[in-house]
Amino acid sequence: MITLAHWLTLSGTLFILAVAGIFLNRRNLILLLMCIELMLLAVNFNFIALSHFQGDTAGQVFVFFILTVAAAEAAIGLAILVVLFRSRRSIQVDDLDEMRG
Amino acid sequence: MSSIDAHLPVLQVVVPLLVAPLVTILRPSGLAWAATTATSFMALMIAVGLTAGALEGDIQRYEVGAWAAPYGIELAVDSFGALLLLILTGASTFALLAGKASLDQQIESGRQPLFFSAWLLVLAGLAGILVSADAFNIFVFMEISSLASYVLIAGGPDRRALPAVFKYLMMGTIGATFYLIGIGLIYMMTGTLNLADIQVRLVDVAGLRPVVVAIGFITVGLGLKAAVFPLHVWLPNAYNFAPHAATVLLAACAAKVSLYVLLTFDFVVLQPVLPEHDPHFGAFLMPLAVLGILAASAVALFEPNLKRLLAFSSVAQIGYILLGASMVSLPGVTASLMHMFNHALAKGALFLAVMCLATRLPSLELDDLAGAAKRMPWTMAAFVVGGLSLIGIPGTAGFTSKWYLISASLEVGGAGGWLLIGVIVTGSLMAVVYIWRVVEAAWFRVPLAEPTEVREAPALMLSVTWLAAAANVYFGLSPWLQTTLASNGARMLLGEAP
Repeated sequence: MITLAHWLTLSGTLFILAVAGIFLNRRNLILLLMCIELMLLAVNFNFIALSHFQGDTAGQVFVFFILTVAAAEAAIGLAILVVLFRSRRSIQVDDLDEMRG
Repeated sequence: MSSIDAHLPVLQVVVPLLVAPLVTILRPSGLAWAATTATSFMALMIAVGLTAGALEGDIQRYEVGAWAAPYGIELAVDSFGALLLLILTGASTFALLAGKASLDQQIESGRQPLFFSAWLLVLAGLAGILVSADAFNIFVFMEISSLASYVLIAGGPDRRALPAVFKYLMMGTIGATFYLIGIGLIYMMTGTLNLADIQVRLVDVAGLRPVVVAIGFITVGLGLKAAVFPLHVWLPNAYNFAPHAATVLLAACAAKVSLYVLLTFDFVVLQPVLPEHDPHFGAFLMPLAVLGILAASAVALFEPNLKRLLAFSSVAQIGYILLGASMVSLPGVTASLMHMFNHALAKGALFLAVMCLATRLPSLELDDLAGAAKRMPWTMAAFVVGGLSLIGIPGTAGFTSKWYLISASLEVGGAGGWLLIGVIVTGSLMAVVYIWRVVEAAWFRVPLAEPTEVREAPALMLSVTWLAAAANVYFGLSPWLQTTLASNGARMLLGEAP
């Protein structure tokens, strides 16, 4: 029997992976973006599991909003990356540090 | 008229939100600017209407689509919200009115309609946060405003804005996600997201661990968004490389709106529920506030670039705002809210003056400012008035909130109180020094090369800048507006009857 605790553990694991990814990854900006998306997915898991076990559908409606927001965020993040790449020919974190003002 | 009054809370958001897509199809960019400025002005008028209601002491509630509160979406504007709505719409209107020439210079005309559309989305998003009474709506509006402000910052000609904005995007998203995790946990414990409803239902589960974890996540997440001291790293570059007009808007209100959510959450929702909340809140945030004031001011002392100098000063000022709130007393919170208003006035005037300088000077390094005061005396005079207000000289707006802050520290009493006064005074003295560095460069340094074409900024830009500088003096001499709103807001936050 899969209980609420299982889902919360899964989402907690995803969240920790994402945070670890942000701190450990010092090279690639796309990986950074993906870690952030993973973090939002962990939150989504929370909302879906909680709404299911509470018998309240509102939580699942929120997930749709969060998905939309996450998509918009990824779009803007990738757009910035594309412009960056055009001007720098690189998306490595180290190369961008030179551009600090 | 009264029938419109009832709808003001929702109009505050809907008007800019509806005009935003329309602006993109206005091809001659002058038209787009005019439409945006008119909308922003209309938003300012709505905010004035809401403030008038708030001054009468009532919380203006609105049920969207007439759906009753726990099920439908509720909007509520109190004195605190009205205070920030005034700052937000005022800063936006001033920046747009003054910014025409600067924006024409920095953004090619073909891209201007899109830029103005993003501007209105920022306005709508931030206003939405301030009028919402629903935790999830606050998240959605927070994302609308953040996503649009990334576009604003990256919209300028400076390529270095891109890494800065990417960092802001990362930190902003992490902040929003943390907030969302907290909201998720609170939703789990209470089954509701309406702020008033959460407060009622949280009583039953107050001591449980998920609630405590939720508070931690919400505080850290909003701290990231509000650039509370160790989490401020995104702010200086984001403000520095943004187009000058956008800097005025963001510096005056973006971080403060996140602080609004933080204070509302911690005081209105959690304080009556959790018995040990106040000491924890103070013990966690007061050291950060003190460190922020000292460290950020110290960095500003040595910063060679004018805009970055002012951005670090903003981090320090957020420290003052937080310091007042972390005392959790009526004078402290009043001082905190007043400082939000006064700092927005001072920083608004300063960044408007910076925009004037930037339209004429090749760069904003302090070295390149040499002799600017001889060429642009009016601009630099306005800068000095804003600077005096930032320092907190009597007769300017900044003085009133520093005064309240010091008397609140006296009320804390003991060695701690004197230590806090020491921090406030040290921070103000450091402000004297870094403002003086600018004045010294502009007035007393001899320019290396004689720039021939440098002359006074465009008339409209200069007069709006002076209007902002004059507002600093007016609200310093008669601070009734911010005092009334701030003390009403503080009473509301601390749960006392106004």
